[in-house]
Amino acid sequence: MNSRKFDDETLTSSLHLLAEDMASLNAPAEIEQKLREAFRARKVVVPMWRRRAPYWLAAGIAAVLLIAISVVALRSRTDKPNQITAGQIEQPRIKEGIKEQPIAPEPKVDVPQPKQQQIAQRPRRPAERRAQNNEVANHVNREIATDFMPLGYLNPATLQDGGQIIRVELPRSTLMNFGLPVNMDRYHEKVKADVFIGVDGLAHAIRFVK
Amino acid sequence: MLAGDEEALALLYRRRQGSIYRFALQMSGSKPIAEDVTQEVFLFLMREGRVFDPARGSLSAFLLGVARNHVLRRMRVDQVLTPIADDGDDDAGLVLADTDVCPLEDLTRAETIETVRKAVLSLPAKYREVVVLCELQDVSYAEAAEILGCAIGTVRSRLHRARALLIAKLRPAEQVEEETSASLKSERCFA
Repeated sequence: MNSRKFDDETLTSSLHLLAEDMASLNAPAEIEQKLREAFRARKVVVPMWRRRAPYWLAAGIAAVLLIAISVVALRSRTDKPNQITAGQIEQPRIKEGIKEQPIAPEPKVDVPQPKQQQIAQRPRRPAERRAQNNEVANHVNREIATDFMPLGYLNPATLQDGGQIIRVELPRSTLMNFGLPVNMDRYHEKVKADVFIGVDGLAHAIRFVK
Repeated sequence: MLAGDEEALALLYRRRQGSIYRFALQMSGSKPIAEDVTQEVFLFLMREGRVFDPARGSLSAFLLGVARNHVLRRMRVDQVLTPIADDGDDDAGLVLADTDVCPLEDLTRAETIETVRKAVLSLPAKYREVVVLCELQDVSYAEAAEILGCAIGTVRSRLHRARALLIAKLRPAEQVEEETSASLKSERCFA
């Protein structure tokens, strides 16, 4: 016990000696100088997170703009076929109106109109819309159509604003007005045409379909 | 200091650098490490000073905690535990500081200090840090617990264990000393 107590006391005194011996030790003076320099440099130089912020901010803004432009571009591309579809969907309504007159049937043209009406009534999903657009494209591909011809002055801005394409039937004599050849044997028959109606409600262009 | 006052930093540094430097030196036994750690602690304070919360403890405890983390990390990286005595230019422990006492007593004192220093450095880190804090830095148990991030009871038990280890390490040296001094006495008697 005595030996233990002696050891404890010795250890305590020895540790005190060591503590006293090291009490006067200090860090070298150049450390303070280095810290002062670092402090000044830090004051002048903007902190790292602040320096990086504009880059991140600029990158973020650029990314958002890019996404916005892409969305707008994509939407404008997808909207145009929809307008065509809408015009074609309205065909029956117009046709019904025209059918009141005696119209000779055209057996060659096969328009799957009822199917399009069904699709139009359902809520559209992007995939369905794509499929529908493909159908429209196929439908259009099965028909032979002229290019759109302007009806009077056509401002390009009018096209960008959008509009509707409506299928109508016109007398074949109308073809002559646009300088197109007319089979005189079928002079009194009707011919199908797509009329582009602008947002102002006026007909701006026409194309003839066979 | 956080507001950009350089003199505040200087004042704080002068007040606190001693304890941080000594803590790092006693923990690592290496002057370069102690210097680096001291610098790192204050650089950390400049960068991340806002993380210090006075409600959670004193500034000295906060700084010693940061110093401890840096020392342990540095020692892990360097994989060295070089005692101060191994440094060629470090003779601090052997300086005969007190000129009033007998040179032989001073030499004995220096030897004791050196022996204890080596014994402390040879302790495992978790025991060494409690000895350095509680015995050499005069930090209270509560503050040591705060620095080490453990309970006061853990500090007490570790300190008890550390003292036992130190006694075990130092006892043979004392016995050898006693035996040596006894043989010297007998030789003197014969002489």
